Amino acid sequence: MSYTELTVWTRGIIMDKEGRDIVNSIAASSRLEGKFAQAMENYVDNPDRTNAPTRKYCRVSDRMLENELTYENEKPNIVVLVEGTMVKGWDYMRGMPPGGTLVINTHYTPDYMIRFVPGPERLARLVCVDAAKLADHKWLYYRLGQLGLDRLSTEGAAERSKDIAPDIAAPLIAAVVKSTGIVKRETIEPMIANKKAFQMALEELHIMPLNPVAA
Amino acid sequence: MSTKGTRIPEWLTVPFAGITPAPSQEKGQDLFPTGNWRSIRPVYRDKLPPCNNACGTNEKIQGYLDLVKRGKYLDAYALIKEDMPFPSVTGRVCYHPCEQACNRGQYDEAISIRAVERFLGDLGQALPRDVVKPGKPNGKRVAVVGSGPAGHSAAYQLARLGYKVTILEKSPRAGGLNRGGIPDWVLPQHVLDREIERLIELGVAIKTNVEVGKDVTWDDLKKNYDACVLAVGLTEPNSVRAEGENKAGVIYGLPFLRDIGMGTSKVKLGARVAVIGGGNTAIDCAREALRQGAVEVTMITVESNPQEMPCVPEDLHDMLEEGVDLIHGRAMTAVLGNGKAEALQLYPARFSGAINASPITINREAPAERFAVDNVIIAIGQHASLAWLPNEFKNERGTIKIDRFGRLGDTNFFAAGDIVQLGSGQPLMVVNAVGDGKRVAFNLDKVLRGEPLQPRKIPVDVILDLDRMNMTYFPHFPRVKQAMLPPVSRRKTQEEVIQAFTEEQAVEEAYRCFSCGTCNACDNCYLVCPEPCIVRSARSNGLYKILVDYCKGCRVCIEECPTGCLEGVPELDFDSGVVRMDTAFAISPGLHGRQAQELQNLANRPAKEI
Repeated sequence: MSYTELTVWTRGIIMDKEGRDIVNSIAASSRLEGKFAQAMENYVDNPDRTNAPTRKYCRVSDRMLENELTYENEKPNIVVLVEGTMVKGWDYMRGMPPGGTLVINTHYTPDYMIRFVPGPERLARLVCVDAAKLADHKWLYYRLGQLGLDRLSTEGAAERSKDIAPDIAAPLIAAVVKSTGIVKRETIEPMIANKKAFQMALEELHIMPLNPVAA
Repeated sequence: MSTKGTRIPEWLTVPFAGITPAPSQEKGQDLFPTGNWRSIRPVYRDKLPPCNNACGTNEKIQGYLDLVKRGKYLDAYALIKEDMPFPSVTGRVCYHPCEQACNRGQYDEAISIRAVERFLGDLGQALPRDVVKPGKPNGKRVAVVGSGPAGHSAAYQLARLGYKVTILEKSPRAGGLNRGGIPDWVLPQHVLDREIERLIELGVAIKTNVEVGKDVTWDDLKKNYDACVLAVGLTEPNSVRAEGENKAGVIYGLPFLRDIGMGTSKVKLGARVAVIGGGNTAIDCAREALRQGAVEVTMITVESNPQEMPCVPEDLHDMLEEGVDLIHGRAMTAVLGNGKAEALQLYPARFSGAINASPITINREAPAERFAVDNVIIAIGQHASLAWLPNEFKNERGTIKIDRFGRLGDTNFFAAGDIVQLGSGQPLMVVNAVGDGKRVAFNLDKVLRGEPLQPRKIPVDVILDLDRMNMTYFPHFPRVKQAMLPPVSRRKTQEEVIQAFTEEQAVEEAYRCFSCGTCNACDNCYLVCPEPCIVRSARSNGLYKILVDYCKGCRVCIEECPTGCLEGVPELDFDSGVVRMDTAFAISPGLHGRQAQELQNLANRPAKEI
């Protein structure tokens, strides 16, 4: 029996769709593999405020989900930070059982980022991927300095594009898939719009092995 | 604000059920820290304004303009005096590289920095006592050879550091090139006299009529003083190596000006005077010649147009206004006449390479021209007279050999000013000599105190780009012009040509300063911040604080900073400032201890009536 919780931390409005794409695509491909899966957004965080922290949740299980009516992940095994600075802001590690995985979108290396992580002893691996560079996206927020000014963003992205993961979500999904094996690459890759970034990320992500737990 | 659906910890329950204070209410800010929304952090970091960087002695120009704006003239004067011993002199004679570098020049017109400096210098002259005090005596004696700009500056800084300084000057009056190279109608003698009085008030002894090599030897200097600054300048005029240069009526530029300045001139000029050379001394000579009775003055240069002349364009303009003629592209090859100069022989000529730094090619196949004159003034530069100096300290340029700290080998002798700057690429100007004297004085101080010498730091961040500032806040505004004597009347008088600023004019001009890259406490960030994140206790540079617990990194203050001193630094570059929150709505206890404490006490307070 396996049961995995995935929590994505993202920024309101400007990176909202990225977070949603990650949880939706992983849940959908898990179902294709015959598992039980669930993906949902969090409205407690008021995600309609630019830059505000918002969370997206996903659960994957071999058996039917018993807790499908609770809408927060109590014990996330995998945490994804869609914007690197979030590593300083919250206790995103709260409730993580030993052997967890943390994926960060940043151009820094895991050696640098580990200093900001609260309770790193619970991590089996820390993964850093420079998603903004790999996705080669057109938006301003690759340059952190201009992040706050960015109002182009994914606001209304659902109306503009029905694609899943056309931008920085693709490398982040690749990082989750490669480092944890939560779903198979063959199942999820056809859903991804930005296949080039997805494939490049599989090559270029930095995985820092930390404290493995005996299976 | 409703908290329905939020998991609220026990200790956060408030007396009125389900309601927490909004950020705009009392204590509301404590409940909703938003610092973790931020990915860039605004940071105040002052950059170097281009004027300070361009100034030969790195005067804090933006600083004193800002003080003038606020009417703090005495503070402004004291600020100049840190780097410049005689602002009343440079306020008149400086070639103002600061104004060429001024960012406002790209926008409308550069600030008239020199005129404001002169205003402050004249204010300082009128003070009964100077603001500068001599340093605590340290018992060491230093000789400064030469009382020109470099020597004056070195002696001034050394006296402020507590040295017992003696200036040795070979002329009967102190002042060096300030007196002997600058005419009265630019720098009146009484202004310079007052500045030299100020130097004596600092405890500097000036011995005139003492020539090194004649009255004092190298060994005397070594024996009698702990250290010595050689600021002897370039005293010998260059010759053009033309035939008949020794005829009567041929005068050299620098001695011509020097004798007038020292009051020992016996020269009587004829009606027609030619000036050879295209530099600043040549221009001063041409304008002085008019005042000494010449009727027609013609300047003959090898440079083929006015733009190539190595002079200050404003001075050239003023000279042309006074009626001096210009002949370009000619070299004098002979002075013709029977025992006395009657005419010049001119040939077309040009520089064979870079302007002013290469031999002159004279086209002798062209027909020679004859130019009738009564006097010719030759002003094509100077060289040093260093017969007294041990040979090991001379270099191939005919100047003193120094290391990068201005020191002669490992002796306690230092050299500053034109004597080391000739041929080094530095302009031979008053302000550059002052800066050199200042730096050498500080290096000398370090050597005598046994500290290691460090090379001068190059400023890394000079703000040169208007895009880094917010031009919205600066309306176009014309430069305040200094009044000038009309050209016709000034031709025959020794009165100052350029008039001083009034107080109103100086303040008006200082108000035009952008304060490039430097916080001038304009309060703009304080006003535009959409959250109450920027606080100040007093309105002053460096006293604004950003509350990082609440700053969301919206960049409004950075974009709106008029001077560009606020910049955004990626938050991840800071190791500090880690703020952990559950979400923006529920704060975990302990990490915001102060807030948690206050909130816990909230339950003990009587409930408010709603």
